[in-house]
Amino acid sequence: MKAVRALILTGYGLNCDYETDYALKTAGAETQRMHINELIEGEQGSPGSILSRFHILVFGGGFSWADDHGAGVVLASKLKFNIGDRIDRFIKDGKLVIGICNGFQSLVNLGLLPGFDDDYRARKVALTANSSGNFIDSWVKLKINSSSPCVFTKGLSHLDLPVRHGEGNFFATNSDIERLFRNNQVVLQYAGGDGDPAEGKWPQNPNGSIKDIAGICDPTGRIFGLMPHPEAFHDMTNHPDWTRKKEYLSREGKGIESWEGDGIRIFRNGVEFIRSEIEQGRME
Amino acid sequence: MISRLEIRLKDELTDPEGRNVKRKAADYFGIKLEDVRVIRILTIDAELNHDQLEKIRQDIFTNPVTEVSSFSPTARSFDWLIWVGFRPGLRDTAGSTAMEAIEDLLRIKFQGEEAVYTSKLYEIRGKLTEKKAKIIAGEILSNDIIQQYRLIQRAKWDPAQGIGLVIPKVILNHVPQVSTIAIGSNQELKDISISRNLALQDSDIPPIREYYLRDDVKSERRKYGLERPTDVELEYIAQSRSDHCNHNTFRGLFRYHDLSTGQKETVNNLFKTCIEAPTLTVKEKKDWVVSVLWDNAGVARFDENFNYTITGETHNSPSNMEAYGGAITGIVGIYRDPLGTGKGSKLIMGMYGYCVGHRDYEGELKPRLHPRRLLDGVIEGVKDGGNKSGVPTPYGLVVFDKGYMGKCLVFVTALGIMPGLVGNQPSHLKRTEPGDLIIMSGGRVGKDGIHGVTASSEVFSEHTPAGHVQIGDPYTQKKMHDFLIEARDEGLISFITDNGGGGLSSSIGESARFSNGCRVDLDRVPLKYSGLDQWEIWISESQERMTIAVKPKHLDRFMELSARHAVESTVIGEYNDSGYLRLDYKGTTCALISIAFMESDFPQWEFDAEWTPPELRGLKEPVLSEPKRHGEVLKTMLSRPNICSRNWISRQYDHEVQGGSVIKPLVGKGRDIPGDAVVVRPVLDSTRGIATTQALNPFYSEVDTYHMTAATIDEAVRKVVAVGGDPDHIGGVDNFCWPTIIYHPENNPDGKYKAAQLVRSNWALRDYCLAYGIPLLSGKDSMYIDGNLEGPYGERRKVSGLPTLLFTVSSVVKDIRKCVTMDAKCPGDTVYVLGDTRDELGGSEYYQMMGEVGLHVPWVDVNKSWPMYLALHRAIEEGLVSSAHAVTRGGLAVHLALVAMAGETGMDIRLADVPAADDLGDSKMLYSESSGRFIVTVDPARQDAFEKIFSGMKTGHIGAVSGSSRFKVKGKDGGIIINEDITKLKDFWKGPFGGLI
Repeated sequence: MKAVRALILTGYGLNCDYETDYALKTAGAETQRMHINELIEGEQGSPGSILSRFHILVFGGGFSWADDHGAGVVLASKLKFNIGDRIDRFIKDGKLVIGICNGFQSLVNLGLLPGFDDDYRARKVALTANSSGNFIDSWVKLKINSSSPCVFTKGLSHLDLPVRHGEGNFFATNSDIERLFRNNQVVLQYAGGDGDPAEGKWPQNPNGSIKDIAGICDPTGRIFGLMPHPEAFHDMTNHPDWTRKKEYLSREGKGIESWEGDGIRIFRNGVEFIRSEIEQGRME
Repeated sequence: MISRLEIRLKDELTDPEGRNVKRKAADYFGIKLEDVRVIRILTIDAELNHDQLEKIRQDIFTNPVTEVSSFSPTARSFDWLIWVGFRPGLRDTAGSTAMEAIEDLLRIKFQGEEAVYTSKLYEIRGKLTEKKAKIIAGEILSNDIIQQYRLIQRAKWDPAQGIGLVIPKVILNHVPQVSTIAIGSNQELKDISISRNLALQDSDIPPIREYYLRDDVKSERRKYGLERPTDVELEYIAQSRSDHCNHNTFRGLFRYHDLSTGQKETVNNLFKTCIEAPTLTVKEKKDWVVSVLWDNAGVARFDENFNYTITGETHNSPSNMEAYGGAITGIVGIYRDPLGTGKGSKLIMGMYGYCVGHRDYEGELKPRLHPRRLLDGVIEGVKDGGNKSGVPTPYGLVVFDKGYMGKCLVFVTALGIMPGLVGNQPSHLKRTEPGDLIIMSGGRVGKDGIHGVTASSEVFSEHTPAGHVQIGDPYTQKKMHDFLIEARDEGLISFITDNGGGGLSSSIGESARFSNGCRVDLDRVPLKYSGLDQWEIWISESQERMTIAVKPKHLDRFMELSARHAVESTVIGEYNDSGYLRLDYKGTTCALISIAFMESDFPQWEFDAEWTPPELRGLKEPVLSEPKRHGEVLKTMLSRPNICSRNWISRQYDHEVQGGSVIKPLVGKGRDIPGDAVVVRPVLDSTRGIATTQALNPFYSEVDTYHMTAATIDEAVRKVVAVGGDPDHIGGVDNFCWPTIIYHPENNPDGKYKAAQLVRSNWALRDYCLAYGIPLLSGKDSMYIDGNLEGPYGERRKVSGLPTLLFTVSSVVKDIRKCVTMDAKCPGDTVYVLGDTRDELGGSEYYQMMGEVGLHVPWVDVNKSWPMYLALHRAIEEGLVSSAHAVTRGGLAVHLALVAMAGETGMDIRLADVPAADDLGDSKMLYSESSGRFIVTVDPARQDAFEKIFSGMKTGHIGAVSGSSRFKVKGKDGGIIINEDITKLKDFWKGPFGGLI
């Protein structure tokens, strides 16, 4: 079986690289953490020398360039002007891009999202300061759009994940929001306890995002950006309720069946998509 | 050319930052504002043409979806404009990231002194007097130590000019110079010490003079053209002699005298007798203790492949001056300690502790920063410092007390992890050898931190660097951290240490002891701005720097990696075995000091310590009858500031990053009750974890610091055991914060008593660390937690903080899947109390609520407690425990309620079944703070197995978790004395700070 290879960017204040690497490995990928400068130098020296070796490009969480001029802004600018064409190639090759938290912020500033009309440069949506005015660390419930083309959420309806950000307030013009819904590009929405969208209620919707939007994809479903952190739920013990769940199960004479965290399913979907592409000869 | 770019949110979007300003104006000062909007300003001092400016405006600095921007003034329809910018010389991180981004986009390099500066403009709408506008500018939007503001009234606004162009560039106009100093007599040196602010002790002066009069020293100095001591040398010696660097207090000689018994005892060196000796004794028995008592952090074994590191310190004085800057510098600074331990450890977690005045203080004293503003600033500093470092901050404590108005306490604690071996070498060992290069990595050197706070009284000019207060830069440090961990893994690092107090003088001075000498070119040290004197370069405390020893054969690879990570690294000298530390500047030697002299012991500080036992100080048990309304008492207790929910703080801190969160700061069904300890998994493919927690009990110091210390250690031990920590692996970190113990008849009349309090605290530290088998993996002391606050009549009143010990413990959890949280899990579960309740309410929260101190402070009985802790650990390992919680401040009533509130379920409790050593009334049963106790809930099906483990021990089956929503307590006579709705109780508990985000 051919390996599915994922590249995780590091450096300049990014910080979720180790656990994202771990989550992708758990999901079955071969992984490499690579400094942004190494990627740029490599691609500039010999175009395609690095990106062509990988199937999944990961923009992880953190504070790139300290988030000083808008979260993800400088990272996006650096990649766009240095290797933007190489990233275009990567997308045209049908490969996958996932941006988590700061990575999501970078993808929208790069213009890879929302990717309307095959335009992967236009900045159409923004992630601005949380309406509370402050950073928040909280676990949220997410409703997943089963009609979305998103490769990463296939077969999922709900998911609990942590958010940890100060700028996750999703914003776009009304017409663009409508368009996102129409195209089923809205993949994740913050939900209340009943599993339905939180309708702006804090802290279920932790940042004031319009229509509780927590994650979107491009029209192909192969580029996915989300504020919550799937890599931070790689193990059941990450979940805030795990000690309670374990105790309830034990009263029924049972134990926790699988210790793998639900966040891994996002990554596994990506890995399996690529694996099938490879098996069908659509990708090397 | 100077350009000013103004960026603002589109009008149709709400401005959360502006709304926070509006909220603070109302909350802090009762000033009503209509609206506040924030304009970000980049002042670009560089030769860029119109097209270039337009390109950076559009492509980087303006988000087309949410923002508009212009190189012309954008302010309009306001009543007041307040511009806030940094003072010169402060680290403007956003300015430097803007430069990085511009350089990258335009493919240019900023030349010489070209730079970008950030500032903010607040557009304020609302009818305000100038006085009120000044309050908003000076008390909410800026701190004059680090920032400057300008106030513009609508009528005086020139829309063409805008706010003008302010360039906070440091201009020193100074040619660096070394001066030599005559020390013909002791008096002459003493005068120099005073005039230069060296703070040398009288007893330090003769040894320094004797050194310079030695023939061998004179002849060696002559070889380099040196005769008299240079300012570089004296500043260096003074720095290394400071209490901060040398811990003179803890190494001092104490003449202890118990005034009641007449007992007299000389205690020579608290550090050696109460910290070092017990730790070495314990280390003999605990093979997991890897490296203690010498490095920047202690090292303990995590598993066969990894070790963890831990240390803690305080950043009190700077935080008291500039809360945000002090706290962010503190947390970012402590993160360099694990990074500089052994050959370097990767940061895995941080913790915080804040001791401040009451948030709603309305008394007549005027602290520099009101406790509310101070706490807000400190919280924000640790938030930015921790979150942007990519290190989780899952645990912390807050204590409010009026004594901390004199000086606030900001504790910061850090843990790291490193492989046991790097290459084939143990990672915890490091040394410098002759020929190794001295490299400084990270930030640049400015006038930061030179002579600490003494500089704060100097008059500011427009271009004077605001050097004494700093703002930590987690971004620069995170890049350096990632780089150094890679360099470590490639085996490129021989030695590494951080630049903290004393800067290069301390990091190089100490590392040169291994090789026995070094030579440094001070002119090669990269500077933030020119004009620093040689001595300033040497002792500057500019942040985010590490000193690394690298073998010449590794230099190229080291520098290559440094460049890859966009980190500045510079070779500034080399280690040798000359026996001397030599500093050159442009080829001329400006300091030459014998390594042996710097290592030699200077005369010991001496203290008189006079102990008056509490009875003789007039303390007594209060005369109180049983309250008639127990429910009201409980609700009031739950809403007291030192008991109530402080959740708004923990929610701002990322506690999940690195993916190892197992037991979080807030637990329970509603995820809103603080857990006993946190557990993280630092190695993701292992099921081992590290459990850590902290304890602070300063109020017991009012009775006896010996028992304060014992109770604090015991509390930390219990809390870590409660989540599943291994009692046989508990490491400790002691952080002492003490009011001045140097006696002075007018300025510190009770100095001798405070010295005795310190001795007694250390005795307890020694006794209980030995008893519990706790090695002190690390620790620090911070004296002088006093302040002289202005009163209403222009007088100054001295306010001293309570003697405070923050005790941190770390433990290894063998299998994280067995960890336990404190929330009641299922209706019907049996509730137990483990351990005796005694008549011990001295210093308690209950007595405090009644306006009393009391006398019977909790005592720790290790012989009874320890077997119980081992038994509880066994019960947790065997899966018999549904929840476990240590009973701490507030006693049984508060903590039973917390367990119930966390489970969002009722409880039926019988006080008659609570094990008690004394015949206590209901209120003492409910609110005694006796140590050694736990509340445990157990599945009835496991009750027999559970009770078997505890046979022969003092445990009580005191009730059950109920299916109802009522928290019910039956008094000793069987009647119900508390019957409250659990949701209501939680509302009371959350009430005081519930509105904060």
